[in-house]
Amino acid sequence: MSALNASGVARLKSLIRAQERRQGARLLAASVCAALVSAAAVLLLGVSGWFITASALAGLAGPLVAHSFNFMVPSALIRFLAIARTGGRYGERITGHDAALKALAALRPQLFEGVARGPVTRALTLAGGEASSRMVQDVDAIQNRFVRLSAPWGAAAGMVAGIGLALLTGWTTALAIAAASALGVLAAALVGRGLAEPAGRAVQAASGELKTEFAAFAAAAPELQAYGIKPWAVEQLAERGAALERATQSLASAGGWILLTQSAAMALAIVGVMATAGAASPPLIALAILAAVTTVESAGALLTAFRHNGAVKAAVERLGDLLEAPTSAPRHSVAPTIDLSSTDLSLSPPQRLAVSGPSGVGKTTLIERLMHLRPPVPGEASLGGVDVAAVSPDAARALFAYAPQQAVLLAGTIRENLKLALPTADDDALWAALEDADLADRVRAAPAGLNAPLGENGARLSGGERRRLGLARAYLRAAPWLVLDEPTEGLDAATEARVLERLTARLERTGQGLILVSHRPAPLALCDRRLTVTGLAPSGAVQMAVRETA
Amino acid sequence: MTAQPIDAAAAPAQWLKAALAPRRRLMALASGLVIADAIPAVGFAAGLALAVGALPQGIGHAVPGALLAVGSLLARGVLAQCATVVGARAARAVKGDVRRQVLNGAFSGRLSDAETMTATVEGVEALDGHVSRFLPARLAAGVTPLLLIAAAAVVSPFTAGILMFTLLPFVIGMALTGMAAGAESRRQFQALERLSGLFLDRIRALPAILAFQAEAQQAAVIGRASENLAQRTGKVLKIAFLSSAILEFFSALAVALVAVYCGFNLLKLLPFPAPDQLSLTQAFFLLALAPEVYAPMRRLSAAYHDRQAAEAAAPSLAGLSDAAEVASVRPPVPTSAPAIAFRDVTIAYEAGAPVLTGFDLEIAPGATVALLGASGSGKSSLLHLFLGLSPLSGGQVEVHDVRLSDHPDLTAWIAWAGQAPVVVPGTLAENIALAWRAAPANRVKEAAARAGFKGDLNRVIDERGGGLSGGERRRLGLARAFLKPAPILLLDEPTANLDAASEAALLPVIRAAAEGRTTLIATHSEAVADLADVVVRL
Repeated sequence: MSALNASGVARLKSLIRAQERRQGARLLAASVCAALVSAAAVLLLGVSGWFITASALAGLAGPLVAHSFNFMVPSALIRFLAIARTGGRYGERITGHDAALKALAALRPQLFEGVARGPVTRALTLAGGEASSRMVQDVDAIQNRFVRLSAPWGAAAGMVAGIGLALLTGWTTALAIAAASALGVLAAALVGRGLAEPAGRAVQAASGELKTEFAAFAAAAPELQAYGIKPWAVEQLAERGAALERATQSLASAGGWILLTQSAAMALAIVGVMATAGAASPPLIALAILAAVTTVESAGALLTAFRHNGAVKAAVERLGDLLEAPTSAPRHSVAPTIDLSSTDLSLSPPQRLAVSGPSGVGKTTLIERLMHLRPPVPGEASLGGVDVAAVSPDAARALFAYAPQQAVLLAGTIRENLKLALPTADDDALWAALEDADLADRVRAAPAGLNAPLGENGARLSGGERRRLGLARAYLRAAPWLVLDEPTEGLDAATEARVLERLTARLERTGQGLILVSHRPAPLALCDRRLTVTGLAPSGAVQMAVRETA
Repeated sequence: MTAQPIDAAAAPAQWLKAALAPRRRLMALASGLVIADAIPAVGFAAGLALAVGALPQGIGHAVPGALLAVGSLLARGVLAQCATVVGARAARAVKGDVRRQVLNGAFSGRLSDAETMTATVEGVEALDGHVSRFLPARLAAGVTPLLLIAAAAVVSPFTAGILMFTLLPFVIGMALTGMAAGAESRRQFQALERLSGLFLDRIRALPAILAFQAEAQQAAVIGRASENLAQRTGKVLKIAFLSSAILEFFSALAVALVAVYCGFNLLKLLPFPAPDQLSLTQAFFLLALAPEVYAPMRRLSAAYHDRQAAEAAAPSLAGLSDAAEVASVRPPVPTSAPAIAFRDVTIAYEAGAPVLTGFDLEIAPGATVALLGASGSGKSSLLHLFLGLSPLSGGQVEVHDVRLSDHPDLTAWIAWAGQAPVVVPGTLAENIALAWRAAPANRVKEAAARAGFKGDLNRVIDERGGGLSGGERRRLGLARAFLKPAPILLLDEPTANLDAASEAALLPVIRAAAEGRTTLIATHSEAVADLADVVVRL
């Protein structure tokens, strides 16, 4: 992992704390229940031990004593404690998980928005990378952080109940139990920090490395096949997998050591009781022995938390790494004029600009920098008289409705995809946009119409249909500039003519300006200005020249 | 525990069984260690009972019993640790086996890379709990209670009878609650997958979401789905927790039954003639043992979701393992550049519209063809046909005297260079020689020179390609193509993402590489297309 992103981690932690506060009532209820469970468990076993021993002594003392022996109160107490323990455990799990689930439900959209509003390069390199799947897993890991919040309360209540019971036997016995239990927790914490935490981190790191290397090999699959080096690649990945498995095994083994410290603490507690309780009556010694065992046991949830610590910490760090303070540019809006600094070109709607030039020369780069979909280069262009690099992404993007060469579609319905551009649009507006993109007939023919699901990134559409859906989506956004990147590529001449005719009518109706990237003559003919992009300068700025057309 | 319908679960369950078979011994050892815990469990109960039973004679008499209890406790801890380690070792072995199988099936074009990656990492990882926890717990749940009841029978056959009698409703209760929890948690698993899918999709679609300033809108969509999942999961967990509470209650009830018997037996107040006369030691032993009888079954029900996770992952793992088993003929490599003919070719992946239909093209021996078109127009899929990485869904491709519909293995015929050549940690020379492991040093040197590499071939390159510029990385791919004497050269976007100067510098190298071979180049670049004898726009 790269160097820690302290500000992002701090931001994530404050988001998590905010959720902890919001779920305060539930978390409190979970903690109270956890305390109830531990106390009931300790009392239950202690009282049971006392009861059975006292019963035996009463039985030995003869029928008279046996008949006068009060078994009603202790046995009622035992039943009550058993029910309290079961009910409390149920309550703890329900409220604790409820709090965790609600907190996570609130965190997920916040994280998404945090990533989306972060610096554009970071946000877009996430798309499709393994970081996005990491995001899902790591958020799940954080769930543990909420669920385990009640664990210390359970351990503390068990300790208090155990000491309280043992005080009946003697204060030295109580002290012995407390010491053994505390030693157990301390030892488990040390084992957790020394073994489980590094192993937990190693698991997360190894799984990330496996995914990264997998992605690298997957991108080169044909090369692996052509040179017969697939077995070698499989070997490499299997070795990465083996590292992951080793880490998982170390984590499991660390969990085992933590449990062993618990067994040892129990043994120590029994020895402590035997050493200190000599003077007490047999029933009270039996009570102390059983109380000792359950007191140590009630720290179990806390010990599990020690085991998960590493994974939770790693998850928080990695998620924090994705969050960055958003770039602080002035938020106020700008006028929809575009000035390209290296030419004397100054445009405002309803002007129409054609951008041409050979493939790969930087046409898309130029327009996407205007929209802050790529980091803008200072001095290249200005919007409303302000350098693009100094305009906030929100203000810049508000000026444009963009249909890229390859429309990125949501895995939803046609309606959802269109409404991305205009959430308030009614069906008439959607159909009108589809009509103008020459896609309405195709959608009408589908049985589900606007509700037809598209599959991942529009898998059920052909390339041309995807492009036209992207076009319809851009039409729905009432921004001052319509930006179309190769809108008619791959269309036959008749369809192209129809699309362009409707585009012209639409522009006249809306008064929008047009920026059109194409190398085809028909769309270029719509424009009154023409810009030729010639390449990227060493500084990274796009080089261009203006050509006036009729 | 047979808590689910056989028909739905049969196939993944069978595959799982077969996948685990080679590691049966290690898994048996892990289960054995878990079951062996019954011995110190009896020892602990006996030790406590002996200690408490001896208390009336003075605490000194209780020491041997206490020592037995302490020793048993430590033995339980050590045994548990051994069981954990062996279980984890078994899980590690199984995961290693399955991952290797899955990887062999990966990169075959059958599943998307994302799906394969999920199967390789999360899917394989899902087997962990199944092997290390569920399977030992299942065996222990069948054996341990009977062992402990047998131990109880030695002391008091009547109590053993009570335990045996309560076992039956307990098992039925567990099966019922397990079934309810199983069905619900499968649904929850699906809901979780849906949310994950939504999340991944919206991250992927970020370019569009940013361009349309729909961040808040989509965050709300994710928020709603997330809220929905929380409610659903809450319901599911309620059932799971309720069923575990019921099991706990059942177990407490059974223990109470034993306690009532023991207590009244000790007080000699039983309303019926006592079947056996218990001492304090015996009664304490039975009471300490009783909860242990139910513990293995409660552990099994807690581990049940491990099994479900494994079975949910099994179908995609099984699919990839099948994909590995493809054998095909290797036709002899022609001595000169072959002719290639595409006739009415259709390429359609399993899900979605065909990426290419009705494609016709005749390529003369030794000609260079550029395939030009936007991404997604099927250029790369056409090249992948030759390597069996994309499906020939219709039509025919003839290469020399071989038909691609027969699925021949043409690996030896083909040299390939793409936009992201594989880089391995090692020297530049070693990296080039990936194309031909046994290549003599002078051939590697010659290939490097022809690809335009200057300077030291022994310089070290790290796995992230450190030490190579973007242009040099492409040269590495081309150097491999020079090194491999194959009659067909396939170039996939050889200059994508390069600046104009670097692209111009690479063009003569591409021209030289294409010499004497039948060459197909998929590209966006007009400059690269200018090298070709024939340009096809897709």
